[in-house]
Amino acid sequence: MQNNKSGVLESVSRRRKNKGKLNLIMDRQKQSKSESLNNKDTAECACSIVEAEDFSFYYGSTMGVKNITMEVFPCSVTAIIGPSGCGKSTFLRAINRINDLIPNTRIEGTLLVNGHDIYAKKTNLVNLRQQVGMVFQKPNPFPKSIFDNIAYGPRLQGTTKGSKLQQIVEESLKAAALWEEVKDDLRKSALALSGGQQQRLCIARALATRPSVLLMDEPCSALDPIATGKIEDLIEQLKSDYTIVIVTHNMQQAARVSERTAFFCLGELIEYDFTPKIFRNPGKKQTEDYITGRFG
Amino acid sequence: MRLSFRYISDKAFTGLTAVSVVLLSLVLIVVLAPMIWRGSSAVVFKATVEFRKMQMDLFNRGEPSELQAEIARTESFRKEVYETLDKFKKGIDTESLSDQARRIHRQFGSELRLRNITGDEYTQLRSLTRELRDRLLTAFESRDIAEIRENIEYVSGYKNDPRLTDTSASALFELGTNYLESAQSIDLKQFEQYSESIEEIEQSIRDLFGPRPGEPTPAGVRLRYGATRWDQAAKCLDRLFWAQKWVETEPAKPLIKIKLSRAHQFAGTELEKLFEYMEQNVQKLLNPRLTFYWQYFIDDSFNSHYFGGVGPEILGTVLITLLGMLFVVPLGLISAAYLVECASDNPAVRIIRMCINTLAGVPSIVFGLFGLTFFILYLFPLLGAESKGCILAASLTLAVLTLPVMIRASEEAIRAVPQTYKEASLSLGASGFRTFVTVTLPAALPGILTGVILSLSRIAGETAPILFTGAVALGPVPKSVFDPTRTLSYGSYDMAVGDRISMMVPHNQYGMVVTLVILILCLNTLAIVLRTRVFKKLKGQ
Ligand SMILES: Nc1ncnc2c1ncn2[C@@H]1O[C@H](COP(=O)(O)OP(=O)(O)OP(=O)(O)O)[C@@H](O)[C@H]1O
Ligand SMILES: [Mg+2]
Repeated sequence: MQNNKSGVLESVSRRRKNKGKLNLIMDRQKQSKSESLNNKDTAECACSIVEAEDFSFYYGSTMGVKNITMEVFPCSVTAIIGPSGCGKSTFLRAINRINDLIPNTRIEGTLLVNGHDIYAKKTNLVNLRQQVGMVFQKPNPFPKSIFDNIAYGPRLQGTTKGSKLQQIVEESLKAAALWEEVKDDLRKSALALSGGQQQRLCIARALATRPSVLLMDEPCSALDPIATGKIEDLIEQLKSDYTIVIVTHNMQQAARVSERTAFFCLGELIEYDFTPKIFRNPGKKQTEDYITGRFG
Repeated sequence: MRLSFRYISDKAFTGLTAVSVVLLSLVLIVVLAPMIWRGSSAVVFKATVEFRKMQMDLFNRGEPSELQAEIARTESFRKEVYETLDKFKKGIDTESLSDQARRIHRQFGSELRLRNITGDEYTQLRSLTRELRDRLLTAFESRDIAEIRENIEYVSGYKNDPRLTDTSASALFELGTNYLESAQSIDLKQFEQYSESIEEIEQSIRDLFGPRPGEPTPAGVRLRYGATRWDQAAKCLDRLFWAQKWVETEPAKPLIKIKLSRAHQFAGTELEKLFEYMEQNVQKLLNPRLTFYWQYFIDDSFNSHYFGGVGPEILGTVLITLLGMLFVVPLGLISAAYLVECASDNPAVRIIRMCINTLAGVPSIVFGLFGLTFFILYLFPLLGAESKGCILAASLTLAVLTLPVMIRASEEAIRAVPQTYKEASLSLGASGFRTFVTVTLPAALPGILTGVILSLSRIAGETAPILFTGAVALGPVPKSVFDPTRTLSYGSYDMAVGDRISMMVPHNQYGMVVTLVILILCLNTLAIVLRTRVFKKLKGQ
């Protein structure tokens, strides 16, 4: 898996030879990856891949999140928990600027991805989103075939050769643990899959562009326990290669899959620490209340 | 209680829906069925031998030898009609009889001059024939049988005069006796009516059978053939058998049309036989046969739609429609995409939106005038093109007319595409344009096709906008988009209001309208099938 992945990465970076900036980012990512692998215990020292500093997000006059300061570390799983409406999605969606679709939004502070201020004027959104993939709360496959769904990203990046695409699609589907179920008919419409399969398809689709960061907004909220289990296994596998930020309402899930957990409440970051610490020995009263279920 | 109320209201609602559906279908049937029924008579009808003659002459269709045999057969039956008519006319046409009498007298005079006779004898004979002639003329003009008999008998008295036997003057006696014979058989009081009636009868027979064999071919195509269709023939026969008269029943009341049997009118005369003969042999005279004239949809028409089909009209309509769609679809799509994806909610955009909505309600004649002034009088000369109505100008005008419809339909369709599709595409690193083309547009396609269907029907059916911009009632088949063309819509209009000749062929009027309806139906069916396909594909079936 590891070799496979880096092989693809190499090919991806070869593909993007001309895009200097991106190459730089990829290299940085590799560096940081090896660093984190070397110092697994002292991961705090590793340089962060996503970094928010006093970051606030407003929908017109409504506040989405306020004064968030946190770092996300590469090749790890970071969970965001918190009550409904506290701004988890807002923060997550701010990281790949998909919130730009909503009119009249406004930010304050800075949000760095790989050291670049992504809200700077000169940011190339296409590059940013190729690096920062996203899996949405509800599965949203395109009304196209399974193959076309997954090949969508690579095609955008300029891969048009059939065999190459075939390879990427197969790898991505395998990575998302969907290959066995759909390999017989990749031409089938994606909408004909079950909800859980669709969600894994969306994950595969996100993986196909080889992002360095994968944002997951409650990926299991619409799934049964078995599918949820599959996706959790998947996250477990992916975390060695990808940086994953996952929003979840399921405390057990956060505890199972994540290394660090951030607790949001009313648009603010209350506490951010190693997962075991948050769940066993939270530093704040609010966190404890929420975790023990005493929170409204 | 509540439950039962709910149950009843539910049933009532279902019933109401059913009734409204039934009503709607009834309206459809009541409106469309008679029209289609009549229109279909332009294609399926009983064609007479005249129709086959016309088809052979104009389009070279049919088997020549068969047709010749058929013509010969009908001609042989028609001969009797012509003979009867001529015979009767001989007796009734006093003017030509008088002419004949004068001619005979003149001829006799020149004959006498060549003869070797004395001057006295000459004067004598000359004055004798002059008197005979004048007697005949008096008889011809008279409406009193006693007077006629007296004069004719006086003339006949000289029948055995040796000076006149075996001369050209002897023709006078024959003329006289013939006339006396027919004058005795008819009611002289009705003489005027007879000659009037006979004119109508002749006209009807000409309408039925076309020009007589041996007559020169008339210049107008319409006059070259008799009744080509059985329904037309029935009308001619009706006019032949029944005289129409407007009578006043009460003073100051509208006149009432009554029908008088001509057979009755001519009872006892030579002509009486004619009606009976024609009534009995009408099938043999015209040889009607049920025909499926599918070439109606490709044939050119002759003599302002009196004969032929609607081929050029269909061609023109399809051309204008397709060209119009070529303009309106991309333009409408781009505008809709701009309005949804790019335009933010500012006053300018709001004004644009309002304008689009207003445009959708502007009367189409206004667009026609706009097309005339803008495209034809302003734009074409500016671009160095000839300033005249043409297909291009017409389809441009129609495109402008339907643009609001297209924009609004596609706007709705694009807006209705789930945001999640867009988010998914963007999060995979697609640019906004790429997302629109590869994700939003395909997902909006069914709705856009609805817009296409709406504009299509509008473009194909509109008359007013092309009135000044490229439609003509008559004219050659267009050779390029810079030629004006005939269209079904304008053709229907023109036939209904403008054209005397085409008013005589109602089946063609209905035929054209029904062709238009069917054409739009076909185009729509095509688009609907396409839409269903796209829809199914999107649904993943
Ligand atoms: N498109 C929007 N326009 C205006 N306000 C919004 C919009 N989306 C979210 N908000 C507001 O921002 C706040 C945070 O919303 P957000 O979706 O981030 O919550 P969340 O933590 O993801 O909740 P959940 O767990 O229910 O998904 C909410 O108060 C919400 O009302
Ligand atoms: Mg959310």
